[in-house]
Amino acid sequence: MGRSSPSSRTVGHVALGRAGYAEILALQRRLRDRRTEGTIGDLVLTVEHEPTFTVGRRGSRANLLVSPEALDAAGIRVFEVERGGDITYHGPGQLVVYPILDLRGYGRDLRGYVERLEEATIRTLARFGIDGWRDSAMPGVWVDGGKIASIGVHVRRWITVHGLALNLDVNRDHFAMIRPCGLDVDAVSMSDLVDGAVDPATVRDAFLEEAADLFGWSVATADLGEIEGGIDGDGS
Amino acid sequence: MEPTKETVRLPDLGDVGEVVVVEWITSEGASVVEGEDLVEVETEKTTFVVPAPTSGRLRTIVARVGDRLRVGETLGEIESV
Repeated sequence: MGRSSPSSRTVGHVALGRAGYAEILALQRRLRDRRTEGTIGDLVLTVEHEPTFTVGRRGSRANLLVSPEALDAAGIRVFEVERGGDITYHGPGQLVVYPILDLRGYGRDLRGYVERLEEATIRTLARFGIDGWRDSAMPGVWVDGGKIASIGVHVRRWITVHGLALNLDVNRDHFAMIRPCGLDVDAVSMSDLVDGAVDPATVRDAFLEEAADLFGWSVATADLGEIEGGIDGDGS
Repeated sequence: MEPTKETVRLPDLGDVGEVVVVEWITSEGASVVEGEDLVEVETEKTTFVVPAPTSGRLRTIVARVGDRLRVGETLGEIESV
């Protein structure tokens, strides 16, 4: 993996807190359009979603193992989205990272991009004493017992949307409603592998530091209202 | 003026191996404008929208949905008028 990081570039980090999936999907698409126009720079969004299943471009609802009624009862919505990959779960206890990057600034290398997201995750886990690894045939990050982080990306005009989801302490009952990524794998959380509580802000900050090192970023806190200018506040 | 044909090839996406054609956004026979979305492909966990390399008419779709191809291989042909 190339470490040909140019001199560091400022990347804005937008901390979105807990937010619904639809709202943030719309936000990603707006920011992607702005990044394509060149009216904003590279950004990284971090968020924790309400319980949601998302199905990638070639994914199948056949990997959803419960009825619509059961989903309604659990309060989980399903979205079909433009990212690669099959079905996955987002919910409380998960760090979701959506980089909005122009990959022309990072070597126009789709695999290299995914590998850097994986590596940043592996190094973050190492800080907590967790041994994680990648499997070139099955992107994401793996640990003893199963998969701890999933990746799904969409690139149009070299601008990225979607990204990575790292399980900190997710609801196993929700994950059990799907075959994640269309595979018979178990979802593992960091809380399964360490003693004591996993602090979401600590993990997020560790991830941003590791990603900054790998991508050559200088991360600055960004204000969504300022970025969105006249179009902020419209909700979704 | 004679129409000229331009082959649409899978652009260099880095070391991606094979990609799969997911969807043609432009249909055969339709006009396209350089830089507009033409066809979507997927490599491992990443979908990528290939833009039209030139303006004209999408004369032929060579790589069909589900076909696998590598960087530089032919997706289709655009006839410029």
